Amino acid sequence: MATERRRRARLLAILPALLMLLLPATVHAATPWWEPLAFSGQRVSGVVALPGLMVVSTASGAYLSSDNGRSFQPISPGRHLALPETLGPIVWQIDHGTVLTAPAGRGLAPDPHAPFLGATAHLIAAPAALPGVVVAVGSDNHVWRRSPSGQWATSFVLLAAGGLAGSPQVTSMAAFTSAVTGAVYMGTNGYGVLLTEDGGDDWIRADPGLPENVLALSADSASRALYAATDQGLFVHHLQAFPAPPAYHDASLYLRWLGIAMVALLATLGAVFGLRRALPRPSSPQGYR
Amino acid sequence: MTSTAVTQRTWWPASAAAVIGAAALGLTLLVPRLFSDPAGVDPFVLRLSAVATALAAASLLTPRFAPTRPVLLAVAAMTLAFSVFAGGPQWIYDISGNRFDFNTQVLLASAAEALLTAVVALIAVRVSPPDLSPLLRLRRFRSAAAIATALGIAAFLLVVLLLPATLLGREGIAPVALARDLPLQGPASILQSFAQELQFRGILLGALDRIAPAWAANLGQAAFFGLAHIAVQYQGPAGAFVPVTIVLGFALGWVTQRTGSLWPAIVIHAVADIAVTVGVIPGLYGY
Repeated sequence: MATERRRRARLLAILPALLMLLLPATVHAATPWWEPLAFSGQRVSGVVALPGLMVVSTASGAYLSSDNGRSFQPISPGRHLALPETLGPIVWQIDHGTVLTAPAGRGLAPDPHAPFLGATAHLIAAPAALPGVVVAVGSDNHVWRRSPSGQWATSFVLLAAGGLAGSPQVTSMAAFTSAVTGAVYMGTNGYGVLLTEDGGDDWIRADPGLPENVLALSADSASRALYAATDQGLFVHHLQAFPAPPAYHDASLYLRWLGIAMVALLATLGAVFGLRRALPRPSSPQGYR
Repeated sequence: MTSTAVTQRTWWPASAAAVIGAAALGLTLLVPRLFSDPAGVDPFVLRLSAVATALAAASLLTPRFAPTRPVLLAVAAMTLAFSVFAGGPQWIYDISGNRFDFNTQVLLASAAEALLTAVVALIAVRVSPPDLSPLLRLRRFRSAAAIATALGIAAFLLVVLLLPATLLGREGIAPVALARDLPLQGPASILQSFAQELQFRGILLGALDRIAPAWAANLGQAAFFGLAHIAVQYQGPAGAFVPVTIVLGFALGWVTQRTGSLWPAIVIHAVADIAVTVGVIPGLYGY
C-alpha cells in the first residue's frame, strides 16, 4: 500500500516536468529597444534624419546616408547640403529664451504663457500627434512642458548623478512631426534617453541597449525611427509597443495554469509532510496542544 | 525541565517552519518559470498566498503544528496582504469601473493590505502558544526610538544621494506628476510600510525573538525579507535587489530590537517608499 502511494506521489511529481516538455516555447525575445546602426565605438556628435536622408557628424567629418543608415558616404568639406524642411503643422522655436510659435508658413509670435527659458535655451520639441503639447529645456537644464490648454509647468528636473557629481545635461529633444506617436524623447549626457507619452507629465527611462551619453536625437516619421548620436556610435530605435507579457488565448494558457496549480499543491503537501516529519508527535512530552 | 531542553523544544519547530515554508514558497514561485514564461502569465502572488494560507491553516488545525503558528501566520500575512495590494487596484476597477482613479485605487488597496496584516497579527498573538506569541512592539515609542528614526532617515537619504543615480533609477523629479500623485501615493506608502513592517519586523521577528538569540532572529527575518523581494521583482530583475533588501531588512530589524519599538522601522520604511515615489523614474519594464 505504501509502495503504491509512493508511486502515485512520484507520478504527480513528474507531471509538471511532462507539461514543460510538451508545451511549445511561445515566448520570443522582443525587438531590441535600441540597436547599434553605424560608427560603432566612435563618437557621433550629431544626427539629422529626414525622409530618405540622414546626416551625421563625427570627429572625422560629416557623413551622408540615403538608405536609412545602412551605408554612409563622407561629405566633402565645403560642400553645401540643402536639407529639406520637415516642420509639423505648427512651428515652435526658441529665440533668445522666448518661445515663439505659428502655423507653418506664417510669421512667428511669442507664446503668451511661456516662461523665459534663458538666453542659451534652444531645445524644443512638439509632437504632431498631441496638438498644443510642447516640451522645452531652459538654460538652467530644467525641462518645461506646455499643456494643450497653453499652460506651462516644470516637467522634469534632473538630479545629481551621485556623490560629488553634478547633474547630467539635457543634450537633445525630439518628437515626430507627423502623428505616428505622441512621445517626446529627451537625450542626456549621463542618463541615456527618457520619454514621455502624456505631454511631459510622466517620464520613463527608455534606453535599454543605449550608452548613457547621448549627444543628439533625431526622429524620422517616414522610417518610423528615432536616431541617437552617442559617444559610442549611432543607434536606432524603431517605433514599437512597450514590452508586455504575451497574451495566450488557446489551451496552452489552461495547461500552464494546471501545471502551476499542481506545483503549488505539491509544494504545500511536501511542506506539510516535511513539518510532520520534523516536529515531535502530539503524544510526546515535548508536543504542544 | 532544564533550560537547554526548553530552548531545544522551542527553537526547532519555528525554525523548521521558516525553512520549510520558505522552500515551499520558493518552489511554488520559481518552478513554474520552467514551463510558464518569466513575464508572468498568471497571478503569481495568488499561488504564493494559497500555499502560505494552506500552511497557516494546517498550523491552526493541527495541534502538532502549534509551535509553527507565529511563523506560518507571518508568512501568510506577507503573501495574502501583498496579493491584496498587488491585485487590489484591478479588483476595485472591476467592481467600480472608472469611479476611482488609479491613485485612489492604490490607496484603497494599501488600506486593505494594512488592515489584513493587522488582523493576521492579532490572530497570531491570540492563537500562538503563550511562550511563543510574537512581540509586536507597537506600544512603545520613547526618545531613543525618536532619535533612531531621525538618524535612520538621515542615513538613508545620505546613502541614496551618494550612490550612483542610474543604479537606483533616481535620475530626476517630475513635478507635475508628483503634484498629481503624491497626495494619495504618500498615504498609500505609509500604509504599505506599516503593513510590511508589521509582517517582517512585527510578527516574524517578534516570533523569532522568542526562540532565538537576537542576531539569529534578525538574520532570519532579514533573509525572509530579501527572499520575498524575489516575488515582488518576479516580473523584473530579481537577483541584484535581494542582497540590498537583506541588508535593509537587517538594519530595520536591528533598530526594532534596540529601541523595543516597531515605529522607527515603520517611519524609515515610509520615508524610503515616498522617496521612491518622488525620485525614482520607472523604466520600460517597471521599476
